Amino acid sequence: MNAVVSVARKEVRDALNNWWLLLYAALFTLLALGLSYLGQRNLGSLGFENFSRTTASILNLCLLLAPLIALSLGAGTIAGERDRGALTYLLSQPLNRWELLLGKFAGLFASIALATAAGFGVAGVVIAVYVSAMDAGTYLLFLGLVLALIAVMTGLGLIASVVSPTRVQALGVAMLVWFVAVFFFDLLLIGMVSATSLGGGGLLLALLANPVEIVRVLAIIHLEPDLEILGPFGSYLMERVGVGGATAILGAALAAWTIVPVTLAAWLFEMRDA
Amino acid sequence: MPTGESPMLKVEGLTKVYGPVRALDGVSFQVEAGSVVALLGPNGAGKTTTLKCVLGVIGFEGTVEVDGVSVKKDGKEVRRRVGYLPQTTAVSDSDTCRQTLEFLGELKGAPKDRIEPLLKLVNLWDQRDTRAGHLSGGMRQRLSLAAALLSDPPLLLLDEPTASLDVESRREFHELIARLRDEGKTVILSTHFLDRLGDLANRVIILHNGKLAFDGTMDDLAQRAQGKRYVVNVNGTAPGALIEALKATGIGPDRVQPAEAHWEDLLLASLPQPGGQKPEEGSL
Repeated sequence: MNAVVSVARKEVRDALNNWWLLLYAALFTLLALGLSYLGQRNLGSLGFENFSRTTASILNLCLLLAPLIALSLGAGTIAGERDRGALTYLLSQPLNRWELLLGKFAGLFASIALATAAGFGVAGVVIAVYVSAMDAGTYLLFLGLVLALIAVMTGLGLIASVVSPTRVQALGVAMLVWFVAVFFFDLLLIGMVSATSLGGGGLLLALLANPVEIVRVLAIIHLEPDLEILGPFGSYLMERVGVGGATAILGAALAAWTIVPVTLAAWLFEMRDA
Repeated sequence: MPTGESPMLKVEGLTKVYGPVRALDGVSFQVEAGSVVALLGPNGAGKTTTLKCVLGVIGFEGTVEVDGVSVKKDGKEVRRRVGYLPQTTAVSDSDTCRQTLEFLGELKGAPKDRIEPLLKLVNLWDQRDTRAGHLSGGMRQRLSLAAALLSDPPLLLLDEPTASLDVESRREFHELIARLRDEGKTVILSTHFLDRLGDLANRVIILHNGKLAFDGTMDDLAQRAQGKRYVVNVNGTAPGALIEALKATGIGPDRVQPAEAHWEDLLLASLPQPGGQKPEEGSL
């Protein structure tokens, strides 16, 4: 396990030298502040919004940006080492492949989480200064959900990284996954609902197939206790399992979406030559 | 478990197939502790693939044991006993020399107090806080050698370590290897530079098209090449005059080269010729 910690620590050190991650943190902070500020202007008064509206705006921002950076960096890690001829060297050290992969995953996740939390933190502090009534609990919950999504997407990026011969190919696969999860899946779901008589159960299963949607629904459930905002699916959840049950189901699905890709990536990595 | 009586490296029936290509085809050899073995062969002969198999970083058929430990059964333990120096330095550009050795030392379970003497050994102590990306090629290779020595491994695998170095850096690097040999390390040195081979290695393994073409001492290799190479001391300055004189006798030499390239001649003489022909007897 020491090897995992060593690799993770090295990964964090490398990530802090990665200007993509620093750019992400800066962009995230600026956009969070900007969204909040502009939202308030649209309501007719100049200043910052309160936390609930801000979190709703940031949610959409997070669902775009966080998967993008997590998938990209995840995809670049093993394939990048392979590209610069360092993978064989790393594997020639006394560590198992799963230790290298787990260390890479942990280090990348910690780095992206740090950048995201910094963005959230700066925006949160600034908004808190200007808003009297604030819902910091909801804000923190969102941070937790975004971190969970980052873990999932980093794991999916790792799979792309392990199976692709070059970094460019891995990034291509990662971008495809991002596009499907963030944009295409919604359209597919709308099409399925329109074309078929997909009931609440079917919709739930479809929802569980996309971690981005899981996080979106989990966030909305906790932002709007009235599940009607989710339409038929919200009603179905309310009737069948309630808020607690839905949180449990969706939370378990997110956990599975984290564990399964990392395990699969480790297995595929074990099967392939360096 | 190491027996202490096992050879340092035992390779039996080593075969590696990449799609339609048999990169290694039933290669077998043993290396005793304390030997310095030169692993030779043309590009694509299977030298690097052999080293990767010994490290257990690629799958293979056959048996590889390091100090009695099977690579297939316990690759991690084998890698603890092996220091590896790749053809191109693979250390992170953004890390300093010290950070590089600290990270790799953690992986190898090496004590931190090994770092200073090793940096001094490879003459990089003054550059300890310099980023690896700012080092010259020779310095980076010396840093990689220090990394390979972190856990004081009994076996060193050096894969064309001087391929990208200038003459001076290469000479310094060879001196380092000679020093390690004198300290009792077992060294397998894959190389294309044969100028100081006679001074460094006491055994030669030659691979050709994934097969073992030669395995023996330097003397064996020299004996094998006997009759195929002659040394002619020229009483004059122009080798062209010698060639003309030989041509006039009907001998017709095809090549005249400085005597320093001795081991390269031996290597070329040991390789099967295209079409299965033997090297021409008496060629210079």
